[in-house]
Amino acid sequence: MSEVLANISAMLQKGKRKDVARLCQQAIDEGLDANVILTDGLLAGMDVIGAKFKANEIFVPQVLVAARAMKAGSEVLKPYLAGDDASGKGKIVMGTVQGDLHDIGKNLVIMMFEGKGFEVIDLGVDVPTEKFIQTAIEEDADIIGLSALLTTTMPVMAEVIKAAEEAGIRDRVKIMVGGAPVTKEFAESIGADAYTEDAPSAAEKALELISA
Amino acid sequence: MNSMERVVMALNHQEPDRVPVYPLLAGVSRHLIGANCREWSTDADTCVKGLLKAKEEYELDCIVTLIDLSVECSAWGQELIYPENEAAHPNYRNQVIEDEDSYDKIQYVDYRTCDRMMMHIDVCRKLVEAAKGEYPVVAFVFGPLGTLSMLRNQEEMYVDCIEQPEVVHDAAGVITQVLKEYCDALLATGVQGIMFDTLFASGSIMSKDMWDELEGDLVQELAEFVHSKGAMVMIHNCGGKIYFDAQIRRMHPEAISFLYPPDDCADFAECKEKYGDVTTLIGCVAPTTATVGTPEKLEAECKESIDAMAKGGGFILATGCELISPNAFPHAKHMVEIAKTYGAYKK
Repeated sequence: MSEVLANISAMLQKGKRKDVARLCQQAIDEGLDANVILTDGLLAGMDVIGAKFKANEIFVPQVLVAARAMKAGSEVLKPYLAGDDASGKGKIVMGTVQGDLHDIGKNLVIMMFEGKGFEVIDLGVDVPTEKFIQTAIEEDADIIGLSALLTTTMPVMAEVIKAAEEAGIRDRVKIMVGGAPVTKEFAESIGADAYTEDAPSAAEKALELISA
Repeated sequence: MNSMERVVMALNHQEPDRVPVYPLLAGVSRHLIGANCREWSTDADTCVKGLLKAKEEYELDCIVTLIDLSVECSAWGQELIYPENEAAHPNYRNQVIEDEDSYDKIQYVDYRTCDRMMMHIDVCRKLVEAAKGEYPVVAFVFGPLGTLSMLRNQEEMYVDCIEQPEVVHDAAGVITQVLKEYCDALLATGVQGIMFDTLFASGSIMSKDMWDELEGDLVQELAEFVHSKGAMVMIHNCGGKIYFDAQIRRMHPEAISFLYPPDDCADFAECKEKYGDVTTLIGCVAPTTATVGTPEKLEAECKESIDAMAKGGGFILATGCELISPNAFPHAKHMVEIAKTYGAYKK
């Protein structure tokens, strides 16, 4: 791997936004392919972040600054990336269900998804059920990701799954659920395709679902 | 044996007649009196009425005055939204600390100018009067860093914790001075203790070193103050892998209310072995189980906590966090029954 790519990965892991952006531009100026910079620089760095986060070697603040550094680098690369789906891993519609305003868990999962090369459409918080379905249809999404932090909003996840069935998209869209009160048993009881305990595992699970 | 005697024995690491129990029914108590969330969390009489109704109907051994996590931040002028059916929360589009350069907006304020803090003090006074010493009333206070996080978008604050930790610490320090005066007023109502929510002392959020650097000395100051008034310090932290050791070193709490085993314990039994002599353990039934779980699963979780932590006292059966759905009411009743039967100490 070229030195500049290793440096991009290293600076991303340290959360150095400006350095990552500068190095991405340097790599472009040196003639490196933007997809290679994305994969071997930014995503490689996020892979390390995800692994360390899962192993409790780093924590939420470090993940957030790394993700922001990745975003800064991605902005530099965007004009040079081939096609409009450069990463090509798949498309995920993600949001916190209606009635729930919590977004940090959701955002962490999105960062991990993006770190694995998924395109994520973030619908935000307090998302109406029909919005998940409508967006999944319009965007031809592979996965819908549902987040909830309240025991009172967990049942809304079941409503989204039911709505996906009624809309006739359930056989082509996988549905993942997560959030502090959500359990594997609950996920199974509502017919979700996947539940994971943490954000890095969610990204790995999404890859599994896509390749299954 | 009344609830006060039962809880005091447990806190003294003795075995009372049975394990004390309190499924954490706070805001949900509004359903018992036909009030909405806004009314319950803004009117002291309504709040007291709900909490007392829950205490009476579910035979709780203790009342913890968890109103919501936005009481403290309102002292600094944080705009709040009061939905009818969920807890009050900041208007996340209009936070007092709008960017990383605005932490100096956090200056000393007189708690007496804060309606929500004054309401909470009023609630505590009325609850203590109603309790007549027959059960403990514990005032719930969000810690300095928690309060700061409600004034600054939480995600942004995490970034600030990395990029300008001294600024974050200084602002939390100013909040601490106000919280100290607030705690003084709460204690003057006769509550038996203060339960501090130390949300960030958790492996789910930040490293132990970072927490200690940002909040350790501040919660120590608050805990020393509460202890100096002859009252108890309790901790509530429902995060994963919480830092018992660091918090105990700083706060010497009489009790810790928690949901998951701490970062240095594999399970609740190890937690009892390691910390059971140092502090009283409160927990650890999952709110999800106590809301949507089957009766069998709830019973299994209650028994797991009792089996692991009740021996020798120093244990209170509780949910690891607040129950917010009225679906939890039958489960709360069930929990109390389990405490009365399976949780009875054999003499």
